[in-house]
Amino acid sequence: MTARIEEFVARGVRPGRRWRAALRRPLAVLPLAYLALLVAGSVLAPLLAPYSPVAADLDHVLAGPSLSHVLGTDALGRDVLARLMYGGRVSLLHAAIVVVTVVVAGVASGIAAGYLDGWFDRAFTWVVDVLLAIPVLMTLLVVLAVVGEHQTVVMVALGVLVSPGLARVVRGATLAVRKELYVAAARVCGLPHHRIVAAHVLPRIAGPVIVQVSLLAGGALLIDAGLSYLGFGAQPPDPTWGDMIAQAASVIDRQPWLLVPPGVVLGLAILAFGLLGDAVRDATAGHSPLPQPARTSTLTPCAEPSAALLSLRGLEVTLAGGRVVVEDLCLEIGHGETVALAGESGCGKSITGRAILDLLPAGGAVTAGSFRFDGEDLAATGPRALRGSRIALISQDPVAALDPVFPIGRQVGELVRLRHGGSRTSVRQRTLQLLRDVNLPEEVARRYPHELSGGMAQRVAIAMALAGEPSLLIADEPTTALDAAVQAEVLALLGRLQAERGMAILLITHDWAVVTSFCRRAYVMYAGHIVESGPVEELLTRPRHPYTEGLLGAMPSRARPGTRLTAIPGSVPEPGQWPSGCHFAPRCTLATPECSAAPVPVSEPDAGHRTRCLHHDELAGGERASA
Amino acid sequence: MPLLELRGLRVAYRPHHPVVDGVDLVVRPGETLGLLGASGSGKSTVGHAVVGLVRPSGGRILFRGEDITHATARRRRALSTRLQIVFQDPHGSLNPSRTVGSTLAEPLRVVRRLPRRAAEARVAAVLERVGMPPAVARRYPGAFSGGQLQRIAIARALVLEPELLVCDEPTSALDLSVQAQILNLLLDLQHQLGLSYLFISHDADVVRFLCHRVVTLRGGRITEPAGPRS
Repeated sequence: MTARIEEFVARGVRPGRRWRAALRRPLAVLPLAYLALLVAGSVLAPLLAPYSPVAADLDHVLAGPSLSHVLGTDALGRDVLARLMYGGRVSLLHAAIVVVTVVVAGVASGIAAGYLDGWFDRAFTWVVDVLLAIPVLMTLLVVLAVVGEHQTVVMVALGVLVSPGLARVVRGATLAVRKELYVAAARVCGLPHHRIVAAHVLPRIAGPVIVQVSLLAGGALLIDAGLSYLGFGAQPPDPTWGDMIAQAASVIDRQPWLLVPPGVVLGLAILAFGLLGDAVRDATAGHSPLPQPARTSTLTPCAEPSAALLSLRGLEVTLAGGRVVVEDLCLEIGHGETVALAGESGCGKSITGRAILDLLPAGGAVTAGSFRFDGEDLAATGPRALRGSRIALISQDPVAALDPVFPIGRQVGELVRLRHGGSRTSVRQRTLQLLRDVNLPEEVARRYPHELSGGMAQRVAIAMALAGEPSLLIADEPTTALDAAVQAEVLALLGRLQAERGMAILLITHDWAVVTSFCRRAYVMYAGHIVESGPVEELLTRPRHPYTEGLLGAMPSRARPGTRLTAIPGSVPEPGQWPSGCHFAPRCTLATPECSAAPVPVSEPDAGHRTRCLHHDELAGGERASA
Repeated sequence: MPLLELRGLRVAYRPHHPVVDGVDLVVRPGETLGLLGASGSGKSTVGHAVVGLVRPSGGRILFRGEDITHATARRRRALSTRLQIVFQDPHGSLNPSRTVGSTLAEPLRVVRRLPRRAAEARVAAVLERVGMPPAVARRYPGAFSGGQLQRIAIARALVLEPELLVCDEPTSALDLSVQAQILNLLLDLQHQLGLSYLFISHDADVVRFLCHRVVTLRGGRITEPAGPRS
């Protein structure tokens, strides 16, 4: 349940629109229509019912369905349809009273506790705990014994007794919304609390509340019927559904049919409330189908194959829903080389790293191109065989990669045992050696992941990557979540390990400071394409692609303080919305019609320096960027 | 007279564990003061205390000489037209279930008590100033990219025409090319409106680029007093 609520709150849906859409689904339409029929039948009973619910016809006792009595008659010859309709008035009214009580008590107290926090919240939690410990049915029987003739009071009491469940849900949802920045922004704007609750909190918690209420309404109907069945409901001869079931049960050997109409009506009503709740939940947590993209390019040939450690040729990666996120990607890493794959978020650089390791998200696949690793074509063996041993991965969030319930030593040791085997002592020796290699004290082996700082956790992740003695390490934004000082330490460590072990590193990053300090060669990605590649120094001084040049102009470190930066206009297009031809053309000052006419081939203006630009000659490049 | 002055500001979420401990700083009219610090240094807490989102446990906050450390709710509401904040996460700073226009118009209608037409006109003008077409007022935040949302979040802060904008890592969640657009926007706005900024960031390059003076915060204390950018 909590997961569902978080989903509601986190996804930030537009309640009104989604619900209107939800209420058009068959899952919602049928229950709604049925409940509307029940309400209409009950409310209009005096007009529509064929007979009075108490009119006995002793000539036709316990009759089955017939033309004069559509649903038959009961033991006193009263019309079952009429009694069902009149009985619905009582049952539905009682369910409504319970629901209104629960909503008023639960929502108000839950919002107050979640929003105000502090002593009110503590008192609330205490009261809720006490209420939850009270057995509902027994308390209700006591209430019935005291005020049994006042059915409304009994139903209000029932509502109060079950309201803590909803109140806790509301409190949790409110707590989550209260931490949202837009609530902070509204407070800074001086909006009063009641206004913030009404405008910002209530709409966001409406989803979970409606789901809870629909389930509660079904439950309330059931309890009301149960009480009537036990004889605590409205007094005869007034009909209720529970009372009808009780009477049918007493004559079940003579006329079993009598049980069917009230049983089916009640059962369907409870089912309808449940389905309605499901429909609302699906609507608020649902995923919309992704648009199918138009294919935009064809392959251009890569450079000749070489003796590189890893060589990707014409790689194309497609994610679930047919979105192409990487297109015609050629990349090579030599033995022991450090290469950067740089680009802004959403350009496909992390996906490329995952594709190398066959770790694409569900529904994702490499749809074209080939991999070669150390001379072997991976199309045959698949990269899975290399994962963890020859190729290792470290990611931006190392803590997430560690199991919180085991100490570090055990997690590193498990990998050592997997890769090298050997006795307990040798595994332990090797584990401690790995920790020393990444500059961690041995006592870290006894610690748990939550006891590590971000920098230490990243070192542990590096130690685990080293356990298989890989020849290629893919480092996906390894320092992005770290502070500047720690970032420098982790980079220095990676540099040292690489020099000692002759391991190649593919560094995936958006941070050009990291690229320049750590890598000699870099690939620049933009919207699924590699737009430029070459020695880092050349990229910085003589960019051959307008996008690289634009990025250099956007760096505050290269600009004169207080002067406007030469920013690239617009924003990176989403996968599926890439323009045809050059993906950068709409934002480019040099673009001409031919840029968008056809896929732009990769050219190599300087040795080892490639660009996917038709106008690379026109770039003022060096002069402008280094000025 | 300085626009904003902090004297020995102290904030403690738990007793005896201050996250901000004795911070002194001054923001003069029309200038940008950089507040540089690593994560956990307490720099965001300073910003939150200035706009009244957290309650200081010691020290004083002076705005144009007036002590606003323990301002009443009514006084805070009046101050909201002079002191505003832009947050780091542009996706979180706008209510996803309301249109951009209604979020931006809300403080105008509630605090300024402007009629609907006047509020809408003001919203359109502010959106234009941050480089967004006025038509975006009818759309929901989900329709925009991070950079566009940060423009809208800046418009939200500007709608009440404040004198001081607390910028809490406004470009840290953005890509380099988008960051450049937002930094340019902040420079332009300062130039056009004479705004002052308290610019909070962990990025030394950005702070050096944008700020007239810089203070460095570590462990809740100022380690380098305000000096011109070096």
